[in-house]
Amino acid sequence: MKQPTSIPAGAARMALLLGLLALPAAAETVAYVGATVHPVSGPPIDGGVMVVEDGVIRAVGAGLAVPEGAEVVELNGLHLYPGFVHPLSALGLIEIGSVRGTRDLGEVGDNNAALRAEVAWNADSLLLPVAAAGGVLTAHVAPQGGTFAGSSAVMRLDGWNWHDMTLAAPAGMHLAYPQLLSGGDDEDFEEKTKRALETINATFDDARAYRKAKDAGTPVDRDADLEALLPVLDGSLPLYVHAEEKSQIESALDWAAEQGFDNLVLVTTSDARYVAERLAKENVPVVLNGVLRLPRRRWEPYDAAYVAARVLHEAGVRFAIGDGDGGFAAANARNLPFHAAMAAAFGLPEDVALRSVTLTAAEILGVADRVGSLDPGKEATFFAATGDPLEITTRIERTWIRGRELDPEDNHQWRLYQRYNARPRAEEPPP
Amino acid sequence: MALALIVPGIAPLVAEEGKTPVAGDPSAWNAVPPERPAAVVVRGATIWTSGPQGVLDGADLLVVDGVIKAVGTDLKAPADALVIDGAGKHVSAGIIDAHSHSAIVGDVNEATHVATPEVRIENLIDAESINIYRQLAGGVTTVNLLHGSANAIGGQNAVIKLRWGAGPRELLFAEAPAGVKFALGENPKQSNWGDDNQRFPQTRQGVEEAIDERFRAALDYRRAWRDYEAAKDPQRVPPRRDLQLEAMLEMLDGKRLIHSHSYRHDEILMLLDLMASYGIRIATFQHVLEGYKVADELARHGAGASTFSDWWAYKYEVIDAIPWNGAIMWDRGVVVSYNSDSDELARHLNLEAAKAVRYGGVPPAEALKFVTLNPARQLHVDRWVGSLEPGKHADFVLWSGSPLSTRSIVLQTWVDGRKYFDRQADLAGRAVLAEERRKLIAEVEASGSGEGGDQEGKDDDGAGGRQQAEDEPPPPPAAQGREVQR
Repeated sequence: MKQPTSIPAGAARMALLLGLLALPAAAETVAYVGATVHPVSGPPIDGGVMVVEDGVIRAVGAGLAVPEGAEVVELNGLHLYPGFVHPLSALGLIEIGSVRGTRDLGEVGDNNAALRAEVAWNADSLLLPVAAAGGVLTAHVAPQGGTFAGSSAVMRLDGWNWHDMTLAAPAGMHLAYPQLLSGGDDEDFEEKTKRALETINATFDDARAYRKAKDAGTPVDRDADLEALLPVLDGSLPLYVHAEEKSQIESALDWAAEQGFDNLVLVTTSDARYVAERLAKENVPVVLNGVLRLPRRRWEPYDAAYVAARVLHEAGVRFAIGDGDGGFAAANARNLPFHAAMAAAFGLPEDVALRSVTLTAAEILGVADRVGSLDPGKEATFFAATGDPLEITTRIERTWIRGRELDPEDNHQWRLYQRYNARPRAEEPPP
Repeated sequence: MALALIVPGIAPLVAEEGKTPVAGDPSAWNAVPPERPAAVVVRGATIWTSGPQGVLDGADLLVVDGVIKAVGTDLKAPADALVIDGAGKHVSAGIIDAHSHSAIVGDVNEATHVATPEVRIENLIDAESINIYRQLAGGVTTVNLLHGSANAIGGQNAVIKLRWGAGPRELLFAEAPAGVKFALGENPKQSNWGDDNQRFPQTRQGVEEAIDERFRAALDYRRAWRDYEAAKDPQRVPPRRDLQLEAMLEMLDGKRLIHSHSYRHDEILMLLDLMASYGIRIATFQHVLEGYKVADELARHGAGASTFSDWWAYKYEVIDAIPWNGAIMWDRGVVVSYNSDSDELARHLNLEAAKAVRYGGVPPAEALKFVTLNPARQLHVDRWVGSLEPGKHADFVLWSGSPLSTRSIVLQTWVDGRKYFDRQADLAGRAVLAEERRKLIAEVEASGSGEGGDQEGKDDDGAGGRQQAEDEPPPPPAAQGREVQR
C-alpha cells in the first residue's frame, strides 16, 4: 500500500515557498504547468497548462506555450480542480454556535425578505480559511429565520471584506415552505399550516399590488420586504423553496405553479427521490442538502439518503449536493466533497458527483460564468490536490482564489498544529 | 385497528407461521438470529487485520465456531465451510464505536444531580433501535453506549454488540468491564443551559471539586463500613447502603473504567492529576479535542483518547480543536480512536479513520486501527475483538474496496460468526417489504379508516431529517433530556 508522505515536513517546506510566491499579487500572467488539469467541463488533461492573467483564466490545454514573461508555477504530479462551490452554507454568518453574539443566521419575524446575507458576512471568520484549505473556495450563504428568510449571496472565500468577496447578490430569495405533516400532537397544526400558506399568498399578492401601484406611478411608501420580492415576481431572481418532506415538496411545486413562478430551486433532502420524475419534468433544479444523513423514516432503506442523488440523476434532475447547512456544518464545510463521494459510492456516476459540487452547483447558483470549472474567462479559483479530491486520503496542497494563492499560515487550525506538533517531547517515555 | 399497522415503529405484521423474516426488515423483533455456520472462509481478499499480520493481499480469513481460526494465504478449511469469494474485496475487523447514544431508551442524561454514577445504561438499552441495523450496514459491530455529559460524574455505560434482533440483555458484550461516564467543561458547568440554572458547579474549578468530593465521600463510606464490620457489634446499625458511592469505590479499585468527556487541555490536566492522586488510571478521555496540547501527559498517564476526527467551533471550548489532533496524539504514543457520538456518523466511521491519513499522514493500517483495535483497547475488550487474530470473536466486515476509500461500501457484516448484514439480502428484501407495505396501505384505505393515520414525517427514533442533534442554538433546558450535549 502506498504510504502518503507526511504532511508536516512537506507542508512546512511548502509554506516557506508560498510566503515568497504569494507576494506579487495577481497583476501578472502566471502559467501553471505539469499538473493534470481537471476542467470538469471536459475530460482531464494530462500535463496540462493553465494560463492565468490578472486572476482570470486565459487558456487551458495540453502543450500550450507559456506566454513570454509569464511566471511559471510547477505543479508536477498534482491535480488541478476548480474550487468546490458550496450550494448552501452558513459560513460567514456564524462563528461559534453556542455563542449568541457570533450568530447572524436566524432573524426573528416571519417576513424578512429584505434581509441580505452578504452584509453580515464576517470576512475574518476563522471558519473561512479552514473551509478554503479543504477546497471550498466559493459558498452560497443564506439567512434562515422566518417564512421569508431573505436573500442569499454567493461569496468568494478570500478578500478584504464583503464588498470584494461578493460574487453574486442577491442570488436568490429563500422561502421556508410550511410543513404539512405534524411531527407532534399540536391540535392547531392544520390551522397553523393553512394560515401560513395564506400568509405567503397574501404577501405575494401584496407584492403584486405594490408593483402595480409603482408601475402606475401611484405614490406608495417604500416597503423593503415587498421591494425585495419584486424580482421574484418577474422571474429575474430565483426563489429557493425549502421543503424536505414528500408531501411538502409536492405541495410547494403545486403552489409555485399556481403562483406562476418558474424560476425555482428546491432545497431539500432525501425525499426528493420520491418526486424525482416530477422535478425532472418541471425542470426544477435541486440543492440536495446533505447526503450523509439518516433516512427520514424508520422503515426506509438504510441508504435512503445515500442513493437520493443517484435517483435524481437517473430521472434527469439537475442538482447540486450540499452538506445540510446550519452552523455545525459550516465549521466542517470542508467535508462537502465527501457528501458527493458517498453518493458516488451508492451509484451516482463519478463525473456527476464531482460536477454536483463544482460546475452544476455554479450553474444552479447562476455564477457558472465565473466559477465552477477551469475554462477561459472564468476566475482562477482552483486547487492543487494529490489525487481525486473526493477521496479523504487525498490532500489538497495549494489553493487559489482569483489567482491569489492562499497562505496556509493564515489558518487558525494550521497555526495550532504547527505550534503543538513542534512542542518539545517529554523526556520520560510513555509507560 | 388496521390503522396502527402502518405507524412506523409499530411492527407491521405478526410473522406468519413458517414465514422467513425478510432481511432488512426494520422491526428487530421480527428478526431471528442468523445461523452460525460451523466454519466460514473468506478467500483471496485484502485483509486489514489490525493485528501483527498487518494488511495482507490475496489472503484468507478462516472462522470456526464463531471464532477466528486463522488469517493467511491458502488456508485449509473444513469441507463444509461456507466460502465467501473475497477477490477484489477487502476485509476488516468489525468497527468499534467508543462513544455512542444510538440505542438508548428515553433520556441520555440523568441531569438532576452533579453525580449520578448509580444509574445504568444497561437498564435502558433499546434493542429495537433501527440504529442498530443501520450501523451494521456501516460495518459497526461493537458500540459503547454512554450517558450524556450533563453532570461531572455521569452514569454507568454499557458496551454492546450489534446482534440485531436480540433482546437488550443479549446485546450486552458480556466480557466487557464496567465503566462510567465523567464530564468536564461547559456541559457539567451548565454553560449553555440558559441563565436560570444555578446547580453547582458553574466553573471548571467547581467541576474538579465536585468530582473530588465524591471520591472523598466514597472513602468515608468505605471507612464507615469497615468500622461497622470491625466492631462486630450486633446492636450497631449498619451504614446505609449507597449505590452511588459503591460505584465510586469500584472506580477507586480499578473495577470501573472512567470515560471522561473533555475538551480543553486545562481540564484534561486537572483530571489527570486528580485521578493520579487517587491512584486511578483513566481509561479514556472522550472528545478530548485539545488532547494534542497535552499529548505527552496523556501518554504518560496511559489514558486513551477517543476523539472526533475534525469537529470544531460548535461551542467556545472547541475553538482550538484541529483535525490533526488524532495524528499528534498517536505520534506521541497515545492510544487514539475516532468515535461518532452521532447516529449518522457511526455509519461511516471507516471514513473518519481515513481522516487520520489526510491530516497528519498516519499510515493507512494504523489509521484503520482508530476505529477497530484502538477503541477495543480503550474499552478493555481487545482480548476478544478489534482485530482479526486467531482466538478473537469473528466480528468482521466485507467491503467492496479499501475501507479507507469513500467509494467503498459494506457488503457483509458478521458478529460472532453470524452474518447480521448482507447488502444483497437487504436489496432483495426491499421489494418484499414494499409489497407488504403497499398491501397494508390498500387494506387501510379500503377499510376507510385511514384518516389521520399518516405519520410519515416523523421518525420515531427522533432522528428526523436533522443531521446533527447538537446544531445550534443549544436546546433550552427543558429539551435536554433526549438531546445529546457535546
